[in-house]
Amino acid sequence: MADRLNVPPAGTAPDTPTPDSHGTSTIRGGTSPHSDSHGISRRGFLSSSALTAGAAGAAGLLAGCASESSGPQAKGTGDAPKEVFTSPAKKLSGSLSILMWSHFVPRHDKWFDKFVADWGKKVGVDVRVDHINTVDVPRRAASEIQAGRGHDLIQHIAPFSQYEPSVLDMTDVVQEANRRWGQQLELCRRSSFNPNTKRFYCYCPGWSPDPGDFRKSMWSKVGMPNGPASWEDLLRGAAEIKRRTGVPCGIGLSPESDSNMAARALLWSYGGAVQDENEKVVLNSDATVAAVEYMTRLFKEAETSEVFSWVPASNNQALIAGKSSYILNSISAWRTAMGANRAIGDDIFFVPALRGPKASLAAQHVIQQWIVPKHAGNPDAAKEFLLHYTANFPAVTYNSELYDLPGWPSLVPQLDGWLDHDPWGAKPANKLSLLKTATSWTANIGYPGPSNPAIGEIFNTNVLPTMFGRAARGQASPKQAVAEAAGRADAIFKNWRGRGLVGG
Amino acid sequence: MTDARTETEPVAVPGEAARPKVGLADRDGFLAWAMLLPSVVYIAALVGVPFLLAVAFAFSDVTTGDPSFDFVGFRNFTAVFDDGVFWRALRNTLVFTLASMALIVVFGKILANILVAEFRGKWFVRFLVLLPWTTPVSLSTISWLWFLDSIYSPVDWVLRHLGLIDGNVVWLGRPGTAMASVIAVQTWRLTPLAAVIVMAGLVAIPRDVDEAARIDGAGFWRRMFEVTIPLTLPVIAVAGLFGAIMTFTDMTVPFVLTRGGPTHSTDVLASWAYFRGIEGGDVGQGAAIALFLFPLLLAGAVAILRAVRRLEAG
Repeated sequence: MADRLNVPPAGTAPDTPTPDSHGTSTIRGGTSPHSDSHGISRRGFLSSSALTAGAAGAAGLLAGCASESSGPQAKGTGDAPKEVFTSPAKKLSGSLSILMWSHFVPRHDKWFDKFVADWGKKVGVDVRVDHINTVDVPRRAASEIQAGRGHDLIQHIAPFSQYEPSVLDMTDVVQEANRRWGQQLELCRRSSFNPNTKRFYCYCPGWSPDPGDFRKSMWSKVGMPNGPASWEDLLRGAAEIKRRTGVPCGIGLSPESDSNMAARALLWSYGGAVQDENEKVVLNSDATVAAVEYMTRLFKEAETSEVFSWVPASNNQALIAGKSSYILNSISAWRTAMGANRAIGDDIFFVPALRGPKASLAAQHVIQQWIVPKHAGNPDAAKEFLLHYTANFPAVTYNSELYDLPGWPSLVPQLDGWLDHDPWGAKPANKLSLLKTATSWTANIGYPGPSNPAIGEIFNTNVLPTMFGRAARGQASPKQAVAEAAGRADAIFKNWRGRGLVGG
Repeated sequence: MTDARTETEPVAVPGEAARPKVGLADRDGFLAWAMLLPSVVYIAALVGVPFLLAVAFAFSDVTTGDPSFDFVGFRNFTAVFDDGVFWRALRNTLVFTLASMALIVVFGKILANILVAEFRGKWFVRFLVLLPWTTPVSLSTISWLWFLDSIYSPVDWVLRHLGLIDGNVVWLGRPGTAMASVIAVQTWRLTPLAAVIVMAGLVAIPRDVDEAARIDGAGFWRRMFEVTIPLTLPVIAVAGLFGAIMTFTDMTVPFVLTRGGPTHSTDVLASWAYFRGIEGGDVGQGAAIALFLFPLLLAGAVAILRAVRRLEAG
C-alpha cells in the first residue's frame, strides 16, 4: 500500500531534511549528476528510503507506505470545491480526539487539519488530531482498546472488522448518510457491515482504487502502447520486455500489503476466492490452482527474486526508477513523480483491472474505516463530525489529488469532470479517466463475501502471497500450495466463527 | 500513702557520647534491600507482570478487538501446533539462534583478542567496534535493509565492480540468502557485546600464566587453545548464553529485513507470535506462540549455566 515515493526534484538542494507539519521529515533530494532523466539516483533512492523506512523503523516495522510526504506537489488548476456546513442535530460540547493516518498525499492532511479545526470552532468542540504512520494505527488502536481509553475516533485504511466487540455500532450514521446522499457503494458497505451481527462496525465514506501502473515507453517497444488488458497480455508483454531489456514485471510476492492486493486480483480474475458469499472457505479449487499456475509462469518468465524481498514502497521505487515495467498500485506514486520528474510522471500510465478467464477485478487499494471505540468520551461529536466530513467529500477528493474517491458517489458530481481533465496537470489530461469505471472492477478484500475478521487475519498473515510464492519458487506444487493455504484459511475461519463474528 | 519516687540519675557510660547515632543508611540489611528494590520493582513490573499476562492470554480467547477474558484451556496451543508455519518458525528460530550464537562467540573472541592488544588508535577502534551495539537495533537494521536492497544494494555494487557477480544477488529475496543475511546482521549486532564480555575474561588472566607458557616455548596458537580459551571458557559461555537468549527472543532483525519472508523462510517464533497476535488480531494464539519460547529458553539457560559451573569447579 505504499504509495508516495520521494523522487528528487531537479534543482533542489540535495538531501535537505525539512520537518513537515506532523513532525516527520520530508527529504528533498537533488537530481544526481549520474542519474538519467528516466531513472532514480542512488542518492535519491537512499533519500526516499530514509524517509520511508525511518518512519517505520521507529515502530520496528518496515512499511514504505508510512508518512511518505513528497517533494514538490502537483499544482491544482481548478477551483477547490466550496465547503459546506450543516448544524449538528444536537448541541455539542467538550473535546474530540481523532487518531488517523498520515495521508500519502501531504496536501490532504494540511487541508484536513484546518477543516476539522474550523468545524470544532463552529460547533463548540475542542478537536485534536493525531496523524501517525498508517502501519502504526492498528497497534495503537489495539493498545487503546485493551486499555479502555484513548481517542474518540480512529481512522484506518484497511479493514478493522476485528474490533467489532469494542466499538460502537455505526448503523445510525450510515442510515443518516444514506438518507442525505443516497445509497452507499456496495464496496464500502461490504467493508464496514457484518451481516452476521447486523452491525456496522465502522463507517466507510471513501476508498481508493488499485489500477495497474505501467511505463508506456517500455510497453510501446513490445507493441502494446496502451499496456496490458488481460493477465495473458501481461505475461506475454512483460516477458518480452524482460527478454529485450532485462526490466522485469513488478507483481509482488512478499509479505506486504501490495502483494496481498495483487494476489487477490489474480485469484478473483481466475474465478477463485478465499470465501464465498456466505463466508464458507472455498479457496481449494481448480480456479485457485489455475491462478497459482499462472503466477508461477509469470514469475519464471517475467520477474526476478526481487519481488520476494519487497516492502510496500519497493514497487513504486522500481517503476519510477525504470526497474519495473508494470505494477499494481494507486495513483499517488505517479503524482509524486509528476511533481518531481515530469518526464517519468508522463511516462507512467494506468490500466484497469486485468481481464482473467473469469473476471476483471482488483482489490481496493485503500478503504476508509472510521471507528468510535466504546470508551470514547464524546461519541456524539465523533458521529456528527463524520457526517460533516462526508458532506465535504468533494474537498476530500480534491485535496487528496483524486486519491480518495467517495463512498456515496452522488456527493462528488464533479468527479468525472476531474478525471477527464485532471486539475493537477496530468498529461494527457484524461490520464485518470479509466477511474470513472473503477467501482465496476474493484472489490472488497473479502469478495464475494464481506471483509470479516478472518479475511483480515488471512490478509495480515500473508496467506495468499505465501501460497503464490511457494509455488512460484518451486517449494510446493500449485496444488500443494493451494491445499496448504486452504488449510490455514479453514483454521482461521473456524477460530473467528467460534467468536460469532464470521458466518458460514 | 506515701509516694516514694526514686529518681535514678543517668549514669554516664564512658565513651557513649562519642558513638555516632546509627541511622537507616548504616544498616546493611536495610541498605541491601533499598539498593535491590528498584531492580526488583523493575523486573516485577516490566518482566513479571507481562509474563503472567502472556500466560493468562495463552489460555484465553482475547483478541485485539475484544479484551474480555474467557478461559479456553489448551485450545490455542492445539491450534498453534496444527499450523505448519509454527513449526517452520521454530526450525528457523533454532537455525537463526545456533548459527548466530556460534558466529557471535567466534567473532567475539577474535575481536576481544584484538581489543586487548596494544596498538596505536586502540581507543578509536574500540569505539568503532562498540557502535553496532550502541545503535538502536531498528535503525541499524534499516541501514542493513538499504545495504541489501534488491535494486540499489551497495554490497552488490561493490561485488559487481570487483567482478564477483554479474547481476544483483537479491539478498532478501531468496530463502537461503535471506536467512544468511538475517544471521549476519544479528551477528554484526551482538558481536561487540560478546567481545566486551570475553575481553573482561582475557584481562583477568594472570600475566604470569601466559609468560610461563611463553617461557615453555608455547606459540600463539598453542597458548590460545591450551591456556587462554580454557581459562576464559566460563566467560565465553556467558557471552554465548547472552547471544543465544538475545537472538532467540529477537524479532527486530528478521522483521525489519524480511518480515519473515520469502514464504516464511525467515519467520521466527517471536515474529510469528507478533503476526498472529497483533497483526492477525488473535492475541491468545500469539501469546501461546510467544510462551513456547519460555521453556526452551529456560532449558537452554540452565544447561549453559550448569556447564559453566562444572567448568569453574573443574
